[in-house]
Amino acid sequence: MSDDEHHFESSESGASKTYPQQAGNIRKGGHIVIKGRPCKVVEVSTSKTGKHGHAKCHFVAIDIFNAKKLEDIVPSSHNCDVPHVNRVDYQLIDISEDGFVSLLTDSGGTKDDLKLPTDDALAAQMRSGFEEGKDVVVSVMSSMGEEQICAVKEVGGGK
Amino acid sequence: MLGFPNGSGGDGVGAEDLSQLQSTMRAIELACSYIQINSNPVAAEATILSLHQSPQPYKACRYILENSQVANARFQAAAAIREAAIREWSFLATDDKGGLISFCLGYVMQHANSSEGYVLSKVSSVAAQLMKRGWLEFTPADKEVFFYQINQAILGSRGLDVQFIGINFLESLVSEFSPSTSSAMGLPREFHENCRKSLEQNFLKTFYQWAKDAALSVTNKIIASHSSVPEVKVCNATLRLMYQILNWEFRYSKGGGTRASINVFSDGIRVDNALARKTECVIVQPGASWCDVLLSSSHVGWLINLYSSVRQKFDLEGYWLDCPVAVSARKLIVQLCSLAGEIFPSNNAQMREQHLLLLLSGVLPWIDPPDVISKEIEEGKSGSEMIDGCRALLSIGTVTTPVVFDQLLRSLRPFGTLTLLSMLMGEVVKVLMANSTDEETWSYEARDILLDTWTTLLASMDGSGGNAWLPPEGMHAAASLFSLIVESELKVASASGRGTVDPTETLEEVYSLLLIIGHVLADEGEGETALVPDAVQSHFVDVVEANNHPVVVLSSSIIKFAEQCLDAEMRSSIFSPRLMEAVIWFLARWSFTYLMLVEDCNLGSNQLQSLPSRACLFTFFNEHNQGKFVLDIIVRISLTSLMSFPGEKDLQELTCFQLLHALVRRRNICFHLLSLDSWRNLANAFANDKSLFLLNSVSQRSLAQTLVLSAYGMQSSDASNQYVKDLMAHMTSSLVDLTNNSDLKNLAQQPDIIMLVSCVLERLRGAASATEPRTQRAVYEMGLSVMNPVLRLLEVYKHESAVIYLLLKFVVDWVDGQLSYLEAHETAVVINFCMSLLQIYSSHNIGKISLSLSSTLLNEAKTEKYKDLRALLQLLSHLCSKDMVDFSSDSIETQSTNISQVVYFGLHIITPLITLELLKYPKLCFDYFSLISHMLEVYPETLAQLNNDAFSHVLTTVDFGLHQQDVDIVTMCLRALKALASYHYKEKNAGNSGLGSHAAGHTDPNGVFHEGILSRFLRTLLHFLLFEDYSTDLVSTAADALFPLILCEPNLYQGLGNELIEKQANPNFKTRLANALQVLTTSNQLSSSLDRLNYQRFRKNLNNFLVEVRGFLKTR
Repeated sequence: MSDDEHHFESSESGASKTYPQQAGNIRKGGHIVIKGRPCKVVEVSTSKTGKHGHAKCHFVAIDIFNAKKLEDIVPSSHNCDVPHVNRVDYQLIDISEDGFVSLLTDSGGTKDDLKLPTDDALAAQMRSGFEEGKDVVVSVMSSMGEEQICAVKEVGGGK
Repeated sequence: MLGFPNGSGGDGVGAEDLSQLQSTMRAIELACSYIQINSNPVAAEATILSLHQSPQPYKACRYILENSQVANARFQAAAAIREAAIREWSFLATDDKGGLISFCLGYVMQHANSSEGYVLSKVSSVAAQLMKRGWLEFTPADKEVFFYQINQAILGSRGLDVQFIGINFLESLVSEFSPSTSSAMGLPREFHENCRKSLEQNFLKTFYQWAKDAALSVTNKIIASHSSVPEVKVCNATLRLMYQILNWEFRYSKGGGTRASINVFSDGIRVDNALARKTECVIVQPGASWCDVLLSSSHVGWLINLYSSVRQKFDLEGYWLDCPVAVSARKLIVQLCSLAGEIFPSNNAQMREQHLLLLLSGVLPWIDPPDVISKEIEEGKSGSEMIDGCRALLSIGTVTTPVVFDQLLRSLRPFGTLTLLSMLMGEVVKVLMANSTDEETWSYEARDILLDTWTTLLASMDGSGGNAWLPPEGMHAAASLFSLIVESELKVASASGRGTVDPTETLEEVYSLLLIIGHVLADEGEGETALVPDAVQSHFVDVVEANNHPVVVLSSSIIKFAEQCLDAEMRSSIFSPRLMEAVIWFLARWSFTYLMLVEDCNLGSNQLQSLPSRACLFTFFNEHNQGKFVLDIIVRISLTSLMSFPGEKDLQELTCFQLLHALVRRRNICFHLLSLDSWRNLANAFANDKSLFLLNSVSQRSLAQTLVLSAYGMQSSDASNQYVKDLMAHMTSSLVDLTNNSDLKNLAQQPDIIMLVSCVLERLRGAASATEPRTQRAVYEMGLSVMNPVLRLLEVYKHESAVIYLLLKFVVDWVDGQLSYLEAHETAVVINFCMSLLQIYSSHNIGKISLSLSSTLLNEAKTEKYKDLRALLQLLSHLCSKDMVDFSSDSIETQSTNISQVVYFGLHIITPLITLELLKYPKLCFDYFSLISHMLEVYPETLAQLNNDAFSHVLTTVDFGLHQQDVDIVTMCLRALKALASYHYKEKNAGNSGLGSHAAGHTDPNGVFHEGILSRFLRTLLHFLLFEDYSTDLVSTAADALFPLILCEPNLYQGLGNELIEKQANPNFKTRLANALQVLTTSNQLSSSLDRLNYQRFRKNLNNFLVEVRGFLKTR
């Protein structure tokens, strides 16, 4: 069997922000671009419009950054844009007065351009873990040019 | 003393009292009017509540009832009497009890003509409830006094209004005594049951008789008068009462009502009988003693006459059909149609037929002739009478056999009842098709009832022997009805086509025909081998040549038509995705029943075997004849539907699940499949063609499974393994390549890679779930080669929950398929792999908090986690199974891995992730508890070794599980408890420590004693058994758990028993409970060893114990 059909390759540098994928293949829990926003799909239903027409997919999705609900209807054989969503873990090294955080990257540098998340519970968790001297690891989600802290995990290590 | 001195009115009321009473009355009146205008309702409610709760408010209530001008105040006063009397009943003097009831009865009779009907019904229902409250203490003479009064009222001597009130009171009384409608009184179930029994045996028939007499007394007037007269109201009430009485759940009619104790478990469950299972239609079985009232006294004739003569009189008044009295009369007639049981003497079959015939003749004018009546209804007449007529047919169909049913009408008409049924339904279908709106019309309802009637009649012939066939005329009637339905469905289908030139009209017809033919030619065969339907086998007996056999002709022409879709041009112009779905559905259903039948496998009943027509039908599509040719066409059509209809999810799922999957399930077909070029093309496309990577995930999985299963058709096991290897090599190597890529971390996040990985994982999972002995090697090696990639991906995709789930599910299915075949060293490899997987998973998830930007996303995250955990639990369960089912060549002794240790280690890792919140998901709950109960039953000793946290966590969840609604969950928890307690008891007896400190209890640093877990569960279980609601099915399992618990903690059990006895206020109950507890542990020669015999004895004892004591311990 020939094996040059699907190699896993890095897409060209300056990678495009999205990738086309058949609508019928996008599942609940997957990602999709609706009205230029990266979203997570929370509901997919397939409907058959017209007696002998083609099936269409109805997506209900939630913007992964601002939690707004968006909807779209696409014929199931057409392509949709799927956003690249990256999540990277960093260790938290500081929380500054103005609400910006300082993060340690894998390569040993720091990343200082992110604010504390707007979600109170999450921010409180970060602060308390940080103040107790625990190792706090945060996940930063980035997609289509936006970035946000989306999860936090404490790894013991406290005094 | 209570203001109700019998007879002597309110004479003794002093002046001071009077002013007091007046002020109370004013306060209540004010409160009632405040509530009505909604001004400060809280304060007003408090005022009224204080009246309800004040001790002995009877005097005030009576004063209000007699003097207040405000109806609402009188209503509240009546309610207050009820509440106070029920509360204080046991302190009231016997005279006062009777006095309260007489007052209420007297009150309603005196005010019988009052316009505020709701006050009267309230007072009347208060009288009924108090009467029930005192039912078991009043002497027959006491009751006699009340009922004399009621009877007088009902006879009509005191006027129509009083007559109405009397009937109304009986209605309240009957509904109060019927378990489903009775009001709560805080009394033992046994009380309610005794009341019910007493009423059913001693009064119900009398009430019916009274109602009959009352109705007789007014009917002449009604028939003679020309306008609606007040008698109608009374008549309606009597009909309603009779209907209500016939709705009673008769339980003591079989002469077996002399049981000393009342079994509270069967409470509310209808006594099972052969008839009831046929439909949901209620069957009335009052027993032999009712024969005189209902049958031999020409009661039915009278009722039918009454209805028909009044109906005739008001023929022109269209509204009459929906009048309350007409509705009640029809309801009663329908109810009488479902009369059955011992009321008909077994030596007199005629009586029953005469009864039904009489009813049918009465009902006939409502439904016959069907065309005229349906036309009238369409022109504006009410459809309610026709619908009741359909109900009557359903009732008659339920209590008779098809033959008797059909015969009934023959004495009245030249045709049978089945023909009438067919004509009637034909009309209904016509109307339904003519106005195809979505609105619910009379024709919808009538159609549903008539369909139920057919089902009832036809279901009785379902293989249960006996009247195997409908009478010939009935068959004809059913057939003509069926063709009418088909015809009208097709008409509707084609009418939905738009233009005259486009082929939509024809396509719609073809679409519907495919579905209809599929249903006619083949049975569903869900989960079993579908037989050629008997009717198809036994008909066409004169056909001897296959080419002339209608079924062969029909099948062949459909296959020829379906083949057209292989042509691209035809496909685009004719085969829409919808039509293609119908084609695939038909082919799946058809091939399952007809394609390549193995001799004597798909044969139906023996008597048909020798028919030549049958033989030619069976051989035509077998492997020596057309079978292989048709199989090739079907495979080509499948490939087309997968490749040429992109994005049509339903179509592809149908193709994969129904059609292809059904083909490879049949071994003989596999041999032929592998020799077909078309099948090779399918396998090739699967491995290499990009467009099949676009199928949705479940179809991917199913297709992989199908292809691996087909490997069975290879000549040898080696060849089968090689086939699977070739098929899957490409998938495994692509995963290995990916994970070896140095830039994996970034690469993996790209959507196209995520999609490919998901796709490959689905395929691997499909292949894994197709493991069979012949291909086990290849599938094992497939999994072995991706072990490391799987762990790498688990790390890389820790934020991509969808992929994580796929990874876990693949491992779950693979382990499930493989484990039982593996040798010791292979098992060790697999188990180490699973351990690494569990550790990586839990290290990512313990202590993690995600952003809760929106509640939907949060719920999503919860659901994802739930699915993951469920997969992990399944993995652990599968690992457990190695100890049970093991095909490896190693002997048990060489078993190097201790499975129980492994699974306990696993439980340690995942129990912190399982919260009580998550256990509310039923499936997770089920998986979790089946694992726990299995672990405890098989390896109780390892539980004792768990650390304290994990141990108590497991037991908290067991406690939680005991209080679930689901019987299976509770059963599993009880089994777990049994295992735990019996393990401890046996170990103790052998001089070991058993559960040790877990069982002994401990004192915490604050000096508080925490009792051991066995004591805790003994308490919980006893409370559960005595006071909570549960299914009877649980009693045996609960007994198995309770017995060892009692043996482990005899002292606590003694104490709990004494406590329970002390709590009983009633000395009679005290002795009964003490005896029952005594018998529970001593009768049946119960001894203190945990063997099978003793468990059985204890089960019996517990059951008797509960029957004896639940009746008074459990209150309502």
